[in-house]
Amino acid sequence: MALRSVSRRLGSRILNHRSFVASIHSHATSFGFQEVKEEEKSKLVGNVFTNVASSYDIMNDVMSGGLHRLWKERLVGKLSPFAGMKHLDVAGGTGDVAFRIYDAVYSVKRRALQKVDEVSLEETQIYVCDINPNMLNVGKQRAAERGLRDNKSLVWVEGDAEALSFDDNSMDGYTIAFGIRNVTHIEKALAEAYRVLKRGGRFLCLELSHVEIPIFKNLYDLYSFQVIPNLGELIAGDRESYQYLVESVRRFPPQERFASMIADAGFEKVEYENLVGGVVAIHSAIKL
Amino acid sequence: MVRLNRVLLKDAGNAIDKTLSEILVCPLSKQPLRFCEKTKSLVSDTIGVSFPIKNGIPCLVPKDGKILEEEADASKA
Repeated sequence: MALRSVSRRLGSRILNHRSFVASIHSHATSFGFQEVKEEEKSKLVGNVFTNVASSYDIMNDVMSGGLHRLWKERLVGKLSPFAGMKHLDVAGGTGDVAFRIYDAVYSVKRRALQKVDEVSLEETQIYVCDINPNMLNVGKQRAAERGLRDNKSLVWVEGDAEALSFDDNSMDGYTIAFGIRNVTHIEKALAEAYRVLKRGGRFLCLELSHVEIPIFKNLYDLYSFQVIPNLGELIAGDRESYQYLVESVRRFPPQERFASMIADAGFEKVEYENLVGGVVAIHSAIKL
Repeated sequence: MVRLNRVLLKDAGNAIDKTLSEILVCPLSKQPLRFCEKTKSLVSDTIGVSFPIKNGIPCLVPKDGKILEEEADASKA
């Protein structure tokens, strides 16, 4: 136990020395702080989400003190959903973002304000794509609980962010919330996002990111490594998965680096907004 | 009761399946998919792979694709 914490401290010190312009290759072979074969990573991540699927939503509430709801609201606000839009939410398994987009489009108050016609409302399509069937099943169940089980606007698809099963230039919007960290090849996911978006389509990514503010950073690290795995054990009965979660956040490229990766995929007007001092960041871009 | 639900599910499924085959493409070849009534799966004719539909959710993860044998061509006719 002591050895593990020593090696982890050593590991983080080495990481600090390493340049952050470390090759993207390193993300593909990292599972948290462990080094794994590229082919292995997606299976390991798959196992994590199969294990946590049933307590995913509760854990989000507990870990973030309910803040994740506000972050997702902000994400959807930035999206400015409209009636008739074709939207793809990737890694959106349990449906949090999809439901919010649905509500935003169908809200009665909004419709009254914007004089939306019923036809375009019905053409709204929100695709929820996730690589993990367990997460999708939780999402479908939640849809049923909201009375949206047979609703044609919500379409659940099992798929890989790195090889999407949607046509080129078919989506008005693409969101990925707390998912891009888990893909093996980030650049492939970004390239796919670019491919499926129409011209003028918006890319939005909500992800846990890096905190640089001096004392807050230490508190955040303490919370991440001391509190969260214990919460995972207590509530989800799975310490390992939440250990992976906090480690994977540290291994993910920082805000600026990720922004340049988005630009490399062809997007323009790449911006990011830090929330809670960088605990999460919303990156946005447009395909022109 | 179970049978009734199953019938309802099947009907709902069929309606969705048509829409699906219109909007979805093969994740590997990016070519259109064909909904196969017999196997209730989405078929990518270009590369000869079929993707299952489980619980109304199409499984289009590349590694879930099943390579179709030659005799499947007969069912196409």
